Amino acid sequence: MKGLIYQLKSVRKDKFCIMSFLLPIAIAIMLNIAGSIDLSSSGEYDFCVVEGNITAETQTWLTKYGNVTICQTKEEWLLAIKEPSTNRIGVEADGKGIRTVLSGDEATIWRQTASTLPVLYEQRELLSEIPIRILEQPDMPTGFPYILMAVTLIVAMFMGCTFNAMNILSEKENGVALINEILPMTSGQYVIQKIFIGFVFGCLSAVVTATICFRLSPVGAAAMLALTILSAFVAALIGLFVGHISDGLMAGIVYIKVIMIVFMTVPLLKYLVPAENNVLSYICYLIPSSATFEGIMELVNGSTATAAKDMVILGVHCVGWSLLYVFFKQKKGKQRAAIK
Amino acid sequence: MWKSLYSLFKKDCRITASGKFFLVTLGSLLLYTLFIHFGYLNFMADNTDTCRVYLYDPAETLGQVSPLIHSVASMEELDEALARDTSGGVGICITDNEPNVVLYAGTEKFDRCRTDYALSLLHPGSEYIPETVGDNSPEMKQRKEITCELLFIEVVAIGFLGIASVLFKEKQMGVIRVHAVMPFPKNLFIFSKIFLFLLTDLIFAALITLFNVGPAEAGSILPAILIQTVILSLIMILTGFGCAMLLKDFKQFSLLYLVISLFTTVPVFLSANPAIKTDWILYHPFFHVYTKLKNAFFGIPVTSPVYYICATCIIFLLFGITTAAFRKEMGKEG
Repeated sequence: MKGLIYQLKSVRKDKFCIMSFLLPIAIAIMLNIAGSIDLSSSGEYDFCVVEGNITAETQTWLTKYGNVTICQTKEEWLLAIKEPSTNRIGVEADGKGIRTVLSGDEATIWRQTASTLPVLYEQRELLSEIPIRILEQPDMPTGFPYILMAVTLIVAMFMGCTFNAMNILSEKENGVALINEILPMTSGQYVIQKIFIGFVFGCLSAVVTATICFRLSPVGAAAMLALTILSAFVAALIGLFVGHISDGLMAGIVYIKVIMIVFMTVPLLKYLVPAENNVLSYICYLIPSSATFEGIMELVNGSTATAAKDMVILGVHCVGWSLLYVFFKQKKGKQRAAIK
Repeated sequence: MWKSLYSLFKKDCRITASGKFFLVTLGSLLLYTLFIHFGYLNFMADNTDTCRVYLYDPAETLGQVSPLIHSVASMEELDEALARDTSGGVGICITDNEPNVVLYAGTEKFDRCRTDYALSLLHPGSEYIPETVGDNSPEMKQRKEITCELLFIEVVAIGFLGIASVLFKEKQMGVIRVHAVMPFPKNLFIFSKIFLFLLTDLIFAALITLFNVGPAEAGSILPAILIQTVILSLIMILTGFGCAMLLKDFKQFSLLYLVISLFTTVPVFLSANPAIKTDWILYHPFFHVYTKLKNAFFGIPVTSPVYYICATCIIFLLFGITTAAFRKEMGKEG
């Protein structure tokens, strides 16, 4: 217990550890704010016209469908259409009707609108009074925001890795690691203390992030907690490895960067690319975050049962990494005994 | 002087390589390329669907309708189709010879547009093809956008983090102390590092553009991209150099890196894409650097002299601060 209090004290002084814990939470808050500000307005149409080219009536008609930007000259109008950050549709008068101009790199939905707009203008009298029944949009987790949230959650769950590695490395640099070796503490106790810190803080970070990002049912929340616990445990173990293997802080940061990139990209690629090759998809499970990511996406989609498979995979990872660590420590102990 | 610069450059290369820096950069390049080719483009391709229109016309009162309309046999089937639809689909139900529109709520203007589009398909006319004035296909636009974003992130990382990793190692080894008594201009130390990381950034920029935009397209836009990369890279290298001199250890520096990378990338990406528009972003210095880099990718010439004058002034200012910090550090160490 005393050892754990000491570990907590050492974390309190370590700003990097605290920062790594708070980072995913900060990202989750930002994603949430970004989501609440505007995610549908990217689907809103943006038209641009040259001043004086179309009538005021046409301009009012256009505002029914989207925002209208007014350009002073034709050159400015062309640049506004070509602007890569927007999907502006250029509109100009064409006899009694209108014609549309596009930059050509827009997604299908904008091109579709640009090709329909002149027809809609012709039929504008006809289309005015039609009854519309609007249904409430179900809260379906699709698209980039949810994937980003799932990735943020992965970062939170696997923060224990950064946490532990940095903690051990700073102990190595300060010389505390050497003092630890002569303290009356078995290596098992030391490992438990170290895992505990990374594990608890990783879990806390993930729980707060998940609460900010997702609204889950009680069963879903319990399953998410199980996923979090298993992932945070594996991450804490991997952090121990990184801490022991790295020679210095810089090498540690390089290892962590590589691990984090792999942990984020492999599940993302697996999710985004339709799996035609089963063997490849099984190989992806060698990276623990693959199972976590899949589990998170299944839970937010409401299928708790299928997430059980991912929990089993993570359980296997927990056992596997623990055994690997025991083997690693034994080998290191033997090497040290041989040197003595 | 050139000989001294060459030896310093060789030493910097060796230290950087021993820190596995080049390996990590190359690994990042490969990962980003794989992500763009096999992940991002596939995902984005699924998102670009046309708005589907479903029609339930039990009495078959309508004659000729557009082939883009999907007919359904019952009201339940219509509801099911709309619930499954991910394209922002619209349902039309004909009762008493009058069309009724059913749809899931989006924004008001978007709903209006979808509704009128769906209704216009009931009376198909001649097909209209809008004129195009740009040179990029939708896929090329996505390629360029994501490549530009990843290049921006990585240049921020390479310059800032890379130079610091070398400098802290040298501080630890006492190289700066030795350099204080070496018989060559003191600024050579800074120049050699700037040159190394600038070169790495430029090679990275050229390769990521060639691999992801394609050699045919990259040929014409690469010079403009490299010019913008030089500006961003110099700003980040000099900032990294200055911070590494002023901060005590690499850990503190990593903390600063987290803050700076969030400050540089998040608001910039949110505002430079059409999702969120804010006025204050114009005061964010990296927003201008990012938009100029994006313009370079899309072949829009960046001719504003004010931008180049400001960028040059900032680079000179940062160089001045860096040199002062370096001399102070040398004095401390000596």
